[in-house]
Amino acid sequence: MTAYLEFKGVEKAFSGKAVLKGMNLAVTKGEVMFIIGTSGVGKSVTIKHLIGLLRIDAGEIWFDGQRVDKLPERKLAALRKRIGMVFQSSTLFDSMTLAENVALPLRKHQRLGWDASLDQARVRLAQVYMAEYADRYPAELSDGMRKRAAIARTLALEPDVVLFDEPTTGLDPVSARRIDRLIRELADKLGVTAIVVSHDPPSIFGIADRVAFLYRGVVHVVATPAELRASSDPIVQQFIRGQSSGPMETPGF
Amino acid sequence: MIGERWMIALGAGATRISQEVGGILILTAQVLRALVPPRIDRRELVKNLYKMGNRSVPIVALTAFFAGALMVLQAGPFVKKFGATSLAGYGAGYAVLREIGPILIALMFSGRVGANNTAELATMTVTEQLDGLRSLAIDPVAFLVVPRVLAMMVMLVALTALGDLVALGGAAIVARSMLDIDWSTMYFSMADNLRPADFLLGIYKSVAFGAAIAMSSCYFGIAVRGGAVGVGKAVNAAVVAAAVSIMLLDFFMTYLVGG
Repeated sequence: MTAYLEFKGVEKAFSGKAVLKGMNLAVTKGEVMFIIGTSGVGKSVTIKHLIGLLRIDAGEIWFDGQRVDKLPERKLAALRKRIGMVFQSSTLFDSMTLAENVALPLRKHQRLGWDASLDQARVRLAQVYMAEYADRYPAELSDGMRKRAAIARTLALEPDVVLFDEPTTGLDPVSARRIDRLIRELADKLGVTAIVVSHDPPSIFGIADRVAFLYRGVVHVVATPAELRASSDPIVQQFIRGQSSGPMETPGF
Repeated sequence: MIGERWMIALGAGATRISQEVGGILILTAQVLRALVPPRIDRRELVKNLYKMGNRSVPIVALTAFFAGALMVLQAGPFVKKFGATSLAGYGAGYAVLREIGPILIALMFSGRVGANNTAELATMTVTEQLDGLRSLAIDPVAFLVVPRVLAMMVMLVALTALGDLVALGGAAIVARSMLDIDWSTMYFSMADNLRPADFLLGIYKSVAFGAAIAMSSCYFGIAVRGGAVGVGKAVNAAVVAAAVSIMLLDFFMTYLVGG
């Protein structure tokens, strides 16, 4: 199958410390691809490269037949409308209500007026079960609620691809599974391609089509959740079983 | 080797200042680019005009009133001694309109509005809200910085004009109540001697001061590194940079118009 989105030999270092060391990964259209790995291995860094929030040092990134890693900032707007991102910290704007947050991209890119954009925003918030909180400010809500609102804001532009950076981290199990269900529905009902950075086993084994395991700056293995479970690789097994001892290198421990 | 260490410290300081000045110039170029053609979020602009301008009126009025009052209070004994009460209004007005008014109001504005602006932008930066904007294909400079820069420049000019008026009023009240100089003497002293150019010089200065406060406060806000400590350092750097810029600009503008 042709890759919809592809990393080819991507390298990235911060202050001389290499994080990605020739990473390769191909994602097909409409799939839910999880990127897993230990903390600090470069999962979030990987997806931020896709929309130009970080720049790679070497390699190539391709999306829908176009090389995107060399695009200048002014040309990234078109790409960012097609690839949305939900950040780990939600990044909702403190000074705006949830409805105003979701309305912002609609006002800016769909030329909707103030009232029309707010009406549309309420519809989007209802899709993530947040309609009753539309007039509240982010600081008044729980992490799970903020994440759902952030998803609504990202989906407002109807992107083809959505990048989720640890969407279930810090959430209670019920909220986490609701987020999982939302991601799965996006792919199944709307054909959205989802790339999810996570180290939450119930999410990984619950909704992923494929899983890319990032280790030592490269994709160590790409497999379906079932293949991952059955893997005889001791490093993979140590990670998915969450064992403190084993062959895996864990910097900082 | 104290000399060597001193040279290294001097070099590091010069490099840091060059980086900061370069960063402010690049941000200024980005702001100008966003203005042609104008891509201004009107809601953000109105919100900032209100927040930065209207809510600064009480503190600016208070500062200006006492600035004018102090000018007269300081000059009072001398004008009385030499029987030159007809010059009290002129002296106070000249100093207030050309120097004291614009400088004091700009420093007050920098402390209240500039510091607040840096803290807000820096917090947005460290909590990835600026990256959030970029990910929505919204340019943070056009959306956040441009309305703030315009609001600060417009409102500092308006506040300086208002402050001038309040300062002259403060001077007249103190002259009347503490030095027995009547209203008409103060009025004619000002009206006959002060020129529009005195007022306009102060206004031109406030435009330059407003730009300096706006650019430094926005730059240090979006260039912040680190968490809460970084935000504190950014606010500190912005206030110091604005104060130094105000003093330098004031000196050169006064020098250029011939004192």
